[in-house]
Amino acid sequence: MAEQQLFRLRVTFKKQGRLALLSHLEIARALERAVRRAGLPFAVSQGFSPHMKIAFGAALPVGVGGAAELFDLQLTQYVPADEVLSALQAASVEDLMVTACEYIESKAAAASVAYPISTYRVCLSEPIDRLEIPEIIHVVRKKKEKELCVKDFVVGDIAHKGDTVEFSLESKPTGSLRPDVLMKACLEGLPVHIVSFERIAQRA
Amino acid sequence: MNLWPQLEPLLLQAERPARYINHEFGCVRKPDAAFRFCMIYPDTYELGQANQALRILVNVVNAVDDMAAERAFLPAPEFCDVMRKEHLPLFSLESCAPVNEFDVIGITLPHELAATNILETLDLAGIGLHASDRGEDDPFVFGGGPCAFNPEPYAPFFDAFNIGEGEEALPEGLMIVRDMRAQGATRSEILHALSQLDGWYVPSLYAWRTEQDAQATGSWLEPLTPDAPTTIEKRIFEGFAESPAWEPCIVPFTEVVHDRLNVEVLRGCARGCRFCQAGMMYRPVRERSADNIVSSVIAGLEATGYDEVSLTSLSTTDHSQIAEILTRVNKACEGKGVRISVPSQRLDSFGVDMAELVAGQKKGGLTFAPEAGTQRLRNVINKNVTEDDLFGAIDAAFAAGWRRCKLYFMIGLPTETDEDIKGIASLAQRAYDRAKAAVPPEQRGAIRMSISCALFVPKAQTPFQWDGQIAPDEAIRRVNLLRNSVKYKAVDVHWHDPKTSFVEAVMSRGGREAAAWVEQAWMRGARFDAWTECFNEQAWRDAAEAIGLSPEAIAQTSYETDYVMPWAHISTGASQKWLARERRLAEREQTTPDCTYEQCSACGVCPHLGIDNMLAKPRVASGSNSRVAQEGE
Repeated sequence: MAEQQLFRLRVTFKKQGRLALLSHLEIARALERAVRRAGLPFAVSQGFSPHMKIAFGAALPVGVGGAAELFDLQLTQYVPADEVLSALQAASVEDLMVTACEYIESKAAAASVAYPISTYRVCLSEPIDRLEIPEIIHVVRKKKEKELCVKDFVVGDIAHKGDTVEFSLESKPTGSLRPDVLMKACLEGLPVHIVSFERIAQRA
Repeated sequence: MNLWPQLEPLLLQAERPARYINHEFGCVRKPDAAFRFCMIYPDTYELGQANQALRILVNVVNAVDDMAAERAFLPAPEFCDVMRKEHLPLFSLESCAPVNEFDVIGITLPHELAATNILETLDLAGIGLHASDRGEDDPFVFGGGPCAFNPEPYAPFFDAFNIGEGEEALPEGLMIVRDMRAQGATRSEILHALSQLDGWYVPSLYAWRTEQDAQATGSWLEPLTPDAPTTIEKRIFEGFAESPAWEPCIVPFTEVVHDRLNVEVLRGCARGCRFCQAGMMYRPVRERSADNIVSSVIAGLEATGYDEVSLTSLSTTDHSQIAEILTRVNKACEGKGVRISVPSQRLDSFGVDMAELVAGQKKGGLTFAPEAGTQRLRNVINKNVTEDDLFGAIDAAFAAGWRRCKLYFMIGLPTETDEDIKGIASLAQRAYDRAKAAVPPEQRGAIRMSISCALFVPKAQTPFQWDGQIAPDEAIRRVNLLRNSVKYKAVDVHWHDPKTSFVEAVMSRGGREAAAWVEQAWMRGARFDAWTECFNEQAWRDAAEAIGLSPEAIAQTSYETDYVMPWAHISTGASQKWLARERRLAEREQTTPDCTYEQCSACGVCPHLGIDNMLAKPRVASGSNSRVAQEGE
């Protein structure tokens, strides 16, 4: 059987409001269901347990929102991108709303690896004078303690002004530093808490 | 009042915050409705969200003009503690409002081990635990669901119970509360009016008699007002078969049990297993048509985006059009990566054929429930399946590619002897031999046969309601006998903790005195009893001692069939006379046929309720049913 031609879409969506509290897995399930509700001609994998050909961008921690999150979807038929967009929007809940979609090359890098640098913005409950950035952060991964060197991951400066903190992190093939872990370490001992936490951009 | 600003900062520390946040696809908000009802499942969101009663009842109440229904669940144990510490009361999901601000709250009673969670729910909501503690402005607390068929162990905690199906009864009850409150009626006037409505039981209108008086008068209830009904008959939703099988449902974000489109294909089961409460309380059998079901599956999948649909009922493969339904649903779902599941597997080769229709290439395990190890005992319990049925099912399943099979049994059934226990081992080993013969030699190593057994719990409203449960120690002895009787390494034995089954039996058979036991156990820390890691046996023991109650007597005493049980005033429609006759037939090892295949067994449900079995088309017997039919000819 000849390989069926598939059409690859990259979809941008927001994760905001109380739905920032969803986990990556929960987001993935919710979006897959939105695609099904939208009635799009999505491609399905062959094999033992067939599933939708959908792939998600880099994960966000529970509690962190995203202004422009991504997933890739393969369709079996070409549907104009603006029609896909309006169908997806009609099938989505407000705080997990699809905002854009465009067709991409079938060989383009996956959404999860195409944009390794993420920029985050954090709003604090009140302004702080200075931010203490640790050099090393200890994390536990697969029951093993690991030391992460903060400067290996931070791209540029950690900008701090009043009650707002902005920084960029690069994820490495060997691992990444979670933005919430970094913030927690920076705010340790300070009498403030995080009011909102959002990934505002992803880039190559 | 909106509690979200107080709740939100606590959620980052909560495990799975998604269970508390609402805003799921499909949830309904009616902020302007003047009358507000909160439907509560007394366990966590993951366990309760897919509950069918919850969905149905929220929908029917929301369909009434000017009434809003919201949902609430019990938070996970550690979050209950966080909320108490932060003085945050139990909240509804849709508007994050305190549960005690609603006009009426409804709590479903899904199983016997949810009892302490009802008190946890009321306490967390800041609502008085006893109906008698509640004032004019407090919400009414309604109960319903399976355990309402013996409401007495819960009676003091509820203002009223809805007995039977709530599709019509619940909105009717709520309208009484709404209209009478608007007219300025008192709480007791409203409760009295509710008691006059079919299918509603108001326990505070009756005194609880002593055992001696109950046996002498034929009822444990002594009406305190002359017009309080002495028998409360269950309600039936007569429009069930004709009503659409698709109705709007909520699509949760977080993973929940039964997280799929659930389409109820039929209600009721007339197989007549003598231990089975569901088989007694959901009679008569009502089938939705194939057209209704197939179009509902398609509409439901489109509207929800689910990738799995389950055709639910007590015995889906008994539906008269099941082969047509599965074939059509299969075709409609082709190429969409949708899984179709049929929850209860009928124990014969037809059941396996149906399972194969929907299994696709992926074949996990199949589960069958012979319930007893010998034909003698299967006749006693009226489980009308033979060894040939089981072996026919095994042959078909393993030839079709399944490699794992689980067999469910009960230990401690009435009249059980050690021979019956050894029979379980023998049956499972012979089933394994059959499986081996059906599988190519090189794949035989993959065959797994497992035995899963639970302690028999005598259930109210069944022919075995008069039979005491065996003591937990004796149950362990029988389990050990079973384990020692199994000689094959590929056959493994699993069993449930008999201590929780013991609490279930007390709750199933207890009278109003058992309510104090529940309350004392809860005060001593018992909650989430259905969670193995939370079950607190000591709390239940200490509670019994504190109030001088013998739970052993409640669970383990056997009675003659003329003994008036504490739920005799609640009627499923099946007469006590028929239940007693079924118990006698059990003693004589005689079976009673399924009235959807053969003649009426005169249980009394149809004439009592003025309704008949409603089948989409006549049922055609196969397997053991055809055997019985041939013998009858």
